[in-house]
Amino acid sequence: MKQTDSKNIWQFRQAKDVKLYDKFILLVLSAAGLFSIINLMEWWFQTKHIVNFPLFVILSTFFWYGIFRIILIWINYLGITKPPIVPKPKDGLSVAIFTTSAPGEPVSMYEKTLEALSNVTYPHTTYLLDSTQDPDFKVVAEKYGAVYLDLANLPGAKAGKVNKALSMTTEEFILILDPDHIAFPNFLDQTLGFFEDEKVGFVQVSQGYYNQYRSFTAAGAAEQTYSFYGPTQMGLHGFGAPVAIGANCTFRRKAFESIGGHAEALAEDLVTSMRIHAAGWKSVYNPVIVNRGLVPEDFGSFAKQQLKWARGVFEVLFVDYPQLFKKFTFWQKFSYGAISFYYFTGLMTLFFILIPPMYFMTGIIPANMNFAEFLTKGTPIAIIALAIYLYVQKFMVHPATERGFHWRGMILKYSLWPIYFLAFVLSILNHKIPYIPTAKKAVIGSLTPFARPLIWYNIFFLFSVILVFFNRKYYVPESELLFTSARTWGMIGFSILAFVQSTGGILAAMEALRLKEEIPWDHIDVNNISTKIIKK
Amino acid sequence: MKLKSTYRILFILGAFALALLIVYVLSIAGDKSKGPIQNALNQAEQNILDIENSLIINKRENKRKEALVAFDSIRSDINILKNTREILLGASDNSTAESFEEIIDLEDSLNTTFPILSIYCAWGSKADEQFPKLAAQTIINLGSTPFITWEPWLEDFDDAEFPGIPSPEKRGKGSLKEIAKGTYDAYITKWAQGVKRLEKPIFLRFGHEMNDPYRYPWGPQNNKPKDYVDAWKHIRAVFDSLNIDNVIWVWAPHPAYGYFDAFYPGDEYVDYVGIGILNFGTAATWSRWWTFDELFGVNYKAFSSYGKPIMITEFGSLVVGGNRGHWFADALRQIPKKYPLLKSIVFFHQPADKTITSKVVSWYFINDPKTRDSIIEQIDMWPDSLKIARYSLTQ
Repeated sequence: MKQTDSKNIWQFRQAKDVKLYDKFILLVLSAAGLFSIINLMEWWFQTKHIVNFPLFVILSTFFWYGIFRIILIWINYLGITKPPIVPKPKDGLSVAIFTTSAPGEPVSMYEKTLEALSNVTYPHTTYLLDSTQDPDFKVVAEKYGAVYLDLANLPGAKAGKVNKALSMTTEEFILILDPDHIAFPNFLDQTLGFFEDEKVGFVQVSQGYYNQYRSFTAAGAAEQTYSFYGPTQMGLHGFGAPVAIGANCTFRRKAFESIGGHAEALAEDLVTSMRIHAAGWKSVYNPVIVNRGLVPEDFGSFAKQQLKWARGVFEVLFVDYPQLFKKFTFWQKFSYGAISFYYFTGLMTLFFILIPPMYFMTGIIPANMNFAEFLTKGTPIAIIALAIYLYVQKFMVHPATERGFHWRGMILKYSLWPIYFLAFVLSILNHKIPYIPTAKKAVIGSLTPFARPLIWYNIFFLFSVILVFFNRKYYVPESELLFTSARTWGMIGFSILAFVQSTGGILAAMEALRLKEEIPWDHIDVNNISTKIIKK
Repeated sequence: MKLKSTYRILFILGAFALALLIVYVLSIAGDKSKGPIQNALNQAEQNILDIENSLIINKRENKRKEALVAFDSIRSDINILKNTREILLGASDNSTAESFEEIIDLEDSLNTTFPILSIYCAWGSKADEQFPKLAAQTIINLGSTPFITWEPWLEDFDDAEFPGIPSPEKRGKGSLKEIAKGTYDAYITKWAQGVKRLEKPIFLRFGHEMNDPYRYPWGPQNNKPKDYVDAWKHIRAVFDSLNIDNVIWVWAPHPAYGYFDAFYPGDEYVDYVGIGILNFGTAATWSRWWTFDELFGVNYKAFSSYGKPIMITEFGSLVVGGNRGHWFADALRQIPKKYPLLKSIVFFHQPADKTITSKVVSWYFINDPKTRDSIIEQIDMWPDSLKIARYSLTQ
């Protein structure tokens, strides 16, 4: 591996500094976007557009909810800030690193994880929180100087083990690292210094991956996080509300103590982050890549992970968010609200998918809008949104591998609408889903059941097209045919968008049938990670 | 990033000024591209229609068109259509916006096929106030001629499209003068181009019952008779400037309100005279059972004085206060001999009409076998020369 290669992923990376002109350009673009949105709004809400009032209300709610989210994202980008300096941590802090192992996880992965942790330069103690009761895990922990804790049969999955381990240890600062993440030697140097501010409860860093090249799903799943672990969190940082989501967050023990320990929930990280903020702690987001982990490589594993996460986030929306709402700062209300509402995308997609079949069955359309007018009013917003989207990509932590249109991510997001919808239904019914650990290796050789709704949709679509054609050819009277011609085929055209995306999801799922078995961490050399600072 | 407050204000003002500039440029680009986008979408729609035409419509056995095969040469030549030897029958039914099935049911029940199908279209900016191209094309595909009543309601015009027009509630006063001045030419032109694209002639009735001061905003309560004449001539001028030659202009005053001459645009501007003959019976307090002669006969002299063919544009009777079967029989019996200029009759077959009475009334007679039988019987007795030869569906 060449150390100078701009695409080398085993190299410490940090986001670009934010300049005044960046803020100015983002303000110009956001304001222009807002004016265009007002323009569209004025046009949208006209009585002449209403055909069926309840449906128009639903359509408008979903559409404007989507636009509102876009506005929130733009506002958030106006706050993009990077900590001006990364303070050098004082010597002699007492630091623990927790990583967990559960039954079914391959011991070979821990060889790399624990070896990498042993290379982390700031003095610390690594603990392996094990529930496998497999002697091999103890062997590998001791090989790399980690303390092995036998924590089998505890309730609450990861959080249960973390809380037990907290009670068994005394270190003031705890980095909780997902076991598939390879830490860089300078990890703690990039986080501990921020705790000099007594009010800082946790420090979150970016999240990098090393297996995104393995498959369409892996690339798409990674793409979905690039904006979040870059401009989005930097914006939240600017507004004082960066959140701890995912692995690799460094906590202050006192922060845990103030909330009674790590939260036990499906979205345990999110709830922990919310509770710490609600207890009055500050947080820091440092946009650096000091670790790289795994994204799901096959559609099934990704869907499973997303189901669990979406269900957890809906729980947050219905339970934790309202509970803690009053204790949040203004921007924390916004950011946690935006995260909590995110998975309504499943319900929204379902609604938009149902418009054409509803029209074919009942003849009802939700609105009567001139499409050319919609295009002329909507295109400026799309152009500005794209410009902002592309502009903030300069603040991705590793633009050389992360920037782009992220179309794979979009196809995956769309294809998971049945999962998000299922999560919504489960949360409305207050049904639990069991804790499902995310697979660390690709599940190969079978088509995941999570692809079935997409296949059904595609069959349904093709069947509808044939049915519509034959109905028109033989049954629709000539005295009615022309009236519905453009609308019918327009609806089919609208459905083709969904069909194409659905097909993308099915192809992604089918990739698992021919994915080559490979252990992603096999050829990582943890001793060859560069922490050299690259001058830009 | 510490900034003094003046710099901050400049920073924000500058950003907003630039933002406005961007929005301005984008909206200019949007306005410029709206036309081409609309044209492209229209073209796409036309392509879909063409494809369905060739894949579906042209491959069907079109029984209705075959039944009107004798009318085909008439409807294709505007000069013949303007003054037919035969009496053309037609009907209107607005109960379903996007279908003529109800009218087809009616003609099946009368064992006939109407050469004229009548539709109504209001002026305005909304989608259903543009030229009814799909309805007109459907009528032509079905083998008939469209008869369009074009009503200059002006409330629905978008002031973004017509800057400077008065607020909607004030548009009634002087509305015809505005039309004559050319205020709404953009609308008229677009509508006229829709007419031009049709391959066959249409009957067009603009601003009907213009002499009735109670009913429509284009009446004399808001306008002078001369304004009506000027508006009519202006519209014709717009059509003429586009070389549109497939319109038969139907001028239709209300028979009860007189002053016909004052509203008459002139012989060279009118092709046909229209008259509405609706017997409300005792359904309304102001009404009684009127015979056909009382409604039409007394006016025939005045209407025939223009020397133009006459159309009964709305022909119907309610059922309360008399015998509807007899009413139709009486009317249809007299027509061939007594009223030689009467060349077309359009049944007003509306299930839910509330334009004049405070309650909703139904002009439907499809479910009234006695009325249907009288109509069939009387028309059968007309001399063959007045009837469009019809192939029976059973043949």
